[in-house]
Amino acid sequence: MARALLVGAVLVLLVLPLAIGPYPLRVATVIFMWAALAGSWNLLAGYAGAVDLGPVVYHGIGAFLTAAGMLKLGLPFLVAVALGGAVAMAIAYAVGGPTLRLRGAYFAIGTLALAESAKQLALAWDRLTGIPLTGGSAGVSLPLATGYLVFYYVMLAVMTAVTAAAFWLRGSRFGYGLRAVGENDRLAEASGVDIHRLKRRVYVGSALAIAVTGGTAGYWLSYINAAEVFGASITFQMVVMTLLGGIGTPLGPVLGATFLTLVSEFLGTRFVYHYLIAIGVIIVAISLFAPAGLAGLLDLARRRRQVAA
Amino acid sequence: MSLLEVRGVTRRFGALVAVNAVDFALEEGEILAIIGPNGAGKSTLFNLIAGLDRPSAGGVLYRGRPIAGLGPDAVCRLGIAKTFQIPQLFPRLTVAENVLVGALYGRGAGLAAARREAREWLAFVGLADKAELPAETLSVPERRRADLARVLGTGASLVLLDENMAGLNQKEVEAAVALLRQVRERGRTLMVTEHIMRAILGLADRVVVLNYGEKIAEGRPDAVMRDPAVVKAYLGEAYG
Repeated sequence: MARALLVGAVLVLLVLPLAIGPYPLRVATVIFMWAALAGSWNLLAGYAGAVDLGPVVYHGIGAFLTAAGMLKLGLPFLVAVALGGAVAMAIAYAVGGPTLRLRGAYFAIGTLALAESAKQLALAWDRLTGIPLTGGSAGVSLPLATGYLVFYYVMLAVMTAVTAAAFWLRGSRFGYGLRAVGENDRLAEASGVDIHRLKRRVYVGSALAIAVTGGTAGYWLSYINAAEVFGASITFQMVVMTLLGGIGTPLGPVLGATFLTLVSEFLGTRFVYHYLIAIGVIIVAISLFAPAGLAGLLDLARRRRQVAA
Repeated sequence: MSLLEVRGVTRRFGALVAVNAVDFALEEGEILAIIGPNGAGKSTLFNLIAGLDRPSAGGVLYRGRPIAGLGPDAVCRLGIAKTFQIPQLFPRLTVAENVLVGALYGRGAGLAAARREAREWLAFVGLADKAELPAETLSVPERRRADLARVLGTGASLVLLDENMAGLNQKEVEAAVALLRQVRERGRTLMVTEHIMRAILGLADRVVVLNYGEKIAEGRPDAVMRDPAVVKAYLGEAYG
């Protein structure tokens, strides 16, 4: 039943561009993008309990490698973005080895430092290596895309894949192992779970999703610079959306991304200067009164209905 | 070949020697108790065998294979699993899922088989009716039984029980002793630490006594209890 509903929702989203104008289409793409990013973060933080404060590293890597593939190698966008994703996975595999051995707050601080270092390295890359890639602080301009639909569909595909992965984690062998790690990593290890291998797989998988999203966003905006695509604000938005929507739930990131994007659009057009204050108040209110997030509220409503019925 | 051989195992924490050149062997199907006053090194010894800690010197052989230095996950997959002195759970997984994780990863069972085994082990320890509850809702005695079910679920041939009866009342201790005998009847070898002497006497085939990290006695439970070195370790010197 729930599965049919979700498949139906994806089918509707597949044909949605036929029915709506350019502005709603743009908003939908923004929602998918954030749902994909937040959903990737949720896989590691919500299931394996590893709070990564540097996922934006792979966003930046994806953006610059996609740009380089298109500009330097003349590759079509989809090939360039796939290549960027593959390289991001290789980097994540190497980086995940040592960093995923850090626990709790040390992992969070370590990955945060990693992201800031990556940003500085990207800013200095061209000067240091002599290989033009990031354009230093001036950034890189990409060719303008001819159509808009490719962004909509790539973002939809990544969001769907990440959400499907989260659903799969709920009832699969891998998912049980990962949730055991998130709940009590020492006990998981003592029960035979190779905790580093499991966490590394998720880390590498989410790096792929984040890099593809970053590469797509860069081409969409047609201009990227290191300070922005490696910016900590992207990480924090992923975290906030996941917490708002409900961490450790498959649909939480989608709910959080939808809610926060729509609220920003609505308030941003009416209260251009003060909308961030309002968003801050909303986030604080939800954290105080619904600590399990929007998904938790939905759950509560459903259970109330069942009790009433 | 002995199931487990502990050879000259030493663990130092700085200047403190928690376990000092301890030797013993364990045969398949046996129930061995490790006893000693608080701080004697029992839990450290268990951690060294289960791969949760590495010996500073000496070796541990499981079925003739050196295992000291392997991680706890690898040791568990080989067939040694341990319950914890403070019973450990995956709090927000259900009780059945707690056991399931052990079966999936410790024994490498498939999902369907692991689910079935989880049910069986929960029934075995008397928690069948709690299977679908979040593990965090269990009481401490129930947690101990769930921890035991998880360990049995891993398929471990050698089960280490670190004070699995602590905090139980007399009736519960009797039930726990009966349960552990059944575990042995199912072909498992047991190594237990316990402060409750009545439980040890009724359960163990053999006892190893530790004091300040050293083995001071070994033998049949009744004989060991009369050993002057053991009496002295527990009660101190007689006034004289």
